[in-house]
Amino acid sequence: MEMRPADLREPDSDLVAQQADTAADRQAMVAQADSASMLEQQRQRRYLAKALLRSPTFMTGLLIVLFWIFMAVFSTFITQSPFDVDAAVSLQAPSATHWFGTDDLGRDVLARTMAGARTVLIIAPLATFLALLWGGIIGLVSGFYRGMTDEIIMRLVDVLLALPVIITSILILSLLGKSLAIVIIVIGALFTPVVSRTIRAAVIGEREREYVMAARLRGERSAFVMAREILPNITQPIIVEGTIRLGYAVFTAATLSFLGFGLVPPSPDWGLTIATERIFLQIAPWTVLFPAAALATLVVGVNLITDGLSRVFSK
Amino acid sequence: MLRLIGRRLLLMIPTLILVSILVFALAEVLPGDVGRSILGPYATQEQVEILNKELGADKPLYERYVSWAVGFVTGDWGVSPLLNIPVRPTVMKALGNSLLLAGFALVIIVPVSIVLGVFAGLRKDSFLDRGITVSSLSMTVIPEFVSGVILLYIFAVWLKWLPVTAIPPDGSPFVDRFYYLILPAIPLMFLELGYIARMARVGTVQVLAMPYIRTAVLKGLPRHRVVFGHVLRNAMVPTVTVIGSQVGWLIGGLVVIETLFVYPGIGKVMVDAAQTHDVVMLEASVLVVAVIYMVANLIADIVVALLNPRIRMGG
Repeated sequence: MEMRPADLREPDSDLVAQQADTAADRQAMVAQADSASMLEQQRQRRYLAKALLRSPTFMTGLLIVLFWIFMAVFSTFITQSPFDVDAAVSLQAPSATHWFGTDDLGRDVLARTMAGARTVLIIAPLATFLALLWGGIIGLVSGFYRGMTDEIIMRLVDVLLALPVIITSILILSLLGKSLAIVIIVIGALFTPVVSRTIRAAVIGEREREYVMAARLRGERSAFVMAREILPNITQPIIVEGTIRLGYAVFTAATLSFLGFGLVPPSPDWGLTIATERIFLQIAPWTVLFPAAALATLVVGVNLITDGLSRVFSK
Repeated sequence: MLRLIGRRLLLMIPTLILVSILVFALAEVLPGDVGRSILGPYATQEQVEILNKELGADKPLYERYVSWAVGFVTGDWGVSPLLNIPVRPTVMKALGNSLLLAGFALVIIVPVSIVLGVFAGLRKDSFLDRGITVSSLSMTVIPEFVSGVILLYIFAVWLKWLPVTAIPPDGSPFVDRFYYLILPAIPLMFLELGYIARMARVGTVQVLAMPYIRTAVLKGLPRHRVVFGHVLRNAMVPTVTVIGSQVGWLIGGLVVIETLFVYPGIGKVMVDAAQTHDVVMLEASVLVVAVIYMVANLIADIVVALLNPRIRMGG
């Protein structure tokens, strides 16, 4: 079909109208595609949520973790005070007044066990967040640019991983002193290398896709492509990595406070309590066993969530 | 093969130098005044200066690093200013104890997790499979001091089958040591159980899907011959691989278990040195652990290469 207008100086009105039509068409199509992809995304999200709700693994984990979050926030309104010392009732076995018994200072073990969730649930999520933030930036940059930048960053990461995490954190914490903020930063920093590796791998998988190419051809800046194009497409591996790290963060935070590098008495923290009360294991096992069981349930809960999430995502 | 080992050994040197700088920097720079951090806030300035001179802490930093590094390589690890004992024999004796414990733990880890994994794999998706998978994974994610303290209560305090301590009284025969090490070794085994059993299970499931297993079954080979002759051997490869990758966790676990059982190993030495700011002892023990960690990783890589011809040839 001849599209050229008869008079080159005077634009053909038909053609102009036609072009305007196609432009409008294209816009409408784009909008339609956008809304279609948004619907698709919504549908997918709803599908994932349904699958998660139907996963017994995920739901059990979620219930356990929610229980401890609830206890961390509200336990002081429900139980007795976790700090009230009463020498007259020290090391008493579980009874009607003290369901979980009392510890060496006569404090209520039930109250301390419930309040013990607090420190772990502050340290672990914040440390995980820091690790995801730093690891995310490092992983995005090294996966996106590849080449020298990637090589240098990954070698540095290797050196950070040359020592077991616990050893490095003991080394740093023994010298930096004991405070909640330092523990959070140290765990976050030590988890960063592993997170950056995972995210780097995910970025490398995405960077050759058409949509990244299109964004680059549009002339978008690298930072935009990384943050607005690639990042939204790797949320699933990031979420899975985040829950895996959360499990390890709970593990590490509890271990550090057990070794005496996190918190100081009279904090009801589980790891710390197990460390200080374990000398009474033979005469008053309840002072140790209840916090131990509590910590065990929380760790297993977080890992059940991880397991459920990665199962649903990998389907 | 030899070239692979040689290259890996050469690669270890820069990593080790970087780690030693990291250890040195953390231990000597962060606290500011070494003498002050050893003597505490109540010592006079004069005493601090005398100790600094004795330790050579008044010299410039790089000089101190070089003399420390050279001393470490030539076997002069210094004297602990706090305990006033030479560092090397103390660390070496502790290392021996730790290796005994770790070796014992590894000896029980491998058969237990492989048997569990193969069982689960043979009855894939059955109730037994789910049970083994979930419980071994739970064991792995629960911190070792939690499982340790619960086992201590059950087997030492309640049932009284095993001793509460990890070291037999002086003068008992050497074999007795293993009896006392059973309880500390089990939580260490738990740490690895989940991963190794899972690998053994995956290996079994994959092997069972192979055509030659069907051939073996169809030609009338009895089930135990199929399992022992084909399945077990092939399920071993991924299992050995994953054991090597878990060395870091084993070392971290040693630190915690030695603290829990008051076992005089290198982890205990390290934690004590960190708690008391015994910088000389801390540096030496961390560096020794770093060397062991790297050598163990190297050995693991070599074993994997030996098992996998593709890597062996490529190396």
